Amino acid sequence: MTFNRRSLITLGILAIITAGSYYFFTRRGITYIWHWESIPEMLFYKGAKSADDPAVRLRMGILMIGFVLTLKISVFAIFFAIIIGTVVGISRLSSEPVTRWISMAYVEVIRNTPLLVQIYIIYFFVGSLLRLSAFTAGTAALAIFAGAYVGEIVRAGIQSIHKGQMEAARSLGMTYAEAMRHIILPQAFKRIIPPLAGQFISLVKDSSLVSVVALADLMFQGQQAVARTYHAFEIYFTVAFLYLVMTFALSMATQYIERRLAISD
Amino acid sequence: MIEARNVYKTFQTPDRREVKALVDFSTRIEKGEVVVIIGPSGSGKSTFLRCLNRLEDIDSGEILIDGVNIYDKKVDINKIREEIGMVFQLFNLFPHKTVLENVTLAQQVVRKRSKEEATKVARGLLEKVGILAKERGYPSQLSGGQQQRVAIARALAMHPKIMMFDEATSALDPEMIGEVLDVMKTLAREGMTMAVVTHEMGFAREVSDRVIFMDEGQIVEEGTAEHFFVNPTHERTKLFLSQIL
Repeated sequence: MTFNRRSLITLGILAIITAGSYYFFTRRGITYIWHWESIPEMLFYKGAKSADDPAVRLRMGILMIGFVLTLKISVFAIFFAIIIGTVVGISRLSSEPVTRWISMAYVEVIRNTPLLVQIYIIYFFVGSLLRLSAFTAGTAALAIFAGAYVGEIVRAGIQSIHKGQMEAARSLGMTYAEAMRHIILPQAFKRIIPPLAGQFISLVKDSSLVSVVALADLMFQGQQAVARTYHAFEIYFTVAFLYLVMTFALSMATQYIERRLAISD
Repeated sequence: MIEARNVYKTFQTPDRREVKALVDFSTRIEKGEVVVIIGPSGSGKSTFLRCLNRLEDIDSGEILIDGVNIYDKKVDINKIREEIGMVFQLFNLFPHKTVLENVTLAQQVVRKRSKEEATKVARGLLEKVGILAKERGYPSQLSGGQQQRVAIARALAMHPKIMMFDEATSALDPEMIGEVLDVMKTLAREGMTMAVVTHEMGFAREVSDRVIFMDEGQIVEEGTAEHFFVNPTHERTKLFLSQIL
């Protein structure tokens, strides 16, 4: 990393914009009394929960409880999105037309309808038929949604592997499935980590939409807290920060995996 | 051992023209025989090789290996392919596996050998092709000639009955061609049945039993390497040889 004159000019422009906007908002800004002091106890607090649970100890506050649920939803949804996406990606390249058409129809239907509508359909319609909990329905909706995108990423990844790899594997006597498992998919996955990371980051953020089916995730808990305290700015900034913590960790994790897999390059 | 009977194969080009790759193609390769196939680009020589382990579909005809028609739907092609080693122009090593793993993988997956056994076989073959010192490296760390030698070891590890070489030295820098040809010559002298598509007439002269000259999907002329050097009969053969020699 080397700083040069261009870096100085960039920093200078940045300083002018910052100073200008600070002046603008303090002069013309709204009157708002900040209550940042109410935030820490929404994350962690020490005390009794209720009459039923009077033990005084360190407990998770409302936002932290939401954070944990969002994390849980995201982890499950990513896990199933990978499975769905791999199956769909391979099916899209099948030589058998019905498999190909079904997987294509799935991708097109899911990608071309709003996630919010899908969540409602899966929760109210499918969920009522199969008696799904809000958690199962919400997670399933996210996994099905992301699965369609992951499927396209996986397909592109498989197609990007030189066809000589499949031929070499098959000429050694491997079946199509063995060649896929040992040769094609490992190379494809390595190549598609950057777009997959982007997709999963989107999934974490999109998971805020499941709050509409009364799933008490981070977004839902944030809204509850705002409704109770009216400290909307502080709470939404905190909620945004907590999403950032998750997505940034995901970013770092995928970059780490990418670096580790680069060993054979 | 291998017999092609009246094989026809056409390709469709992207602009929907038909290219005849093999036209009423028939030949036999006997056990222990080293056959070199030469011919201009697009003459169907690589296609013929690829048909021998069904990497291509054919329009009509039969290809028999030990009396079994490999294009019969009832035949398990994977069992046939285990017996046929193939070496490609672009090596096609598995880039995410180490040199050793490249040679052990199919042994374990296809031949169901234990890891220890597969490693033992692989080390023996890597030593034979002179590249054992690099067993922990990845293909990207090897030169073209070294990669191709690993690819030969990988094919040999399945203990195939026949080895096919599809322009195995065409993508190599000139100074590396020799090391790969040396490995191929050793194999030929050991009695391996070989079908070799190449432009290396020196190799043909030294170890081949028969040379086939192909053009436009057909055999134009065949005979010993000496025959091709001394008195090729057909005009097309003469023209082609004058271009490559």
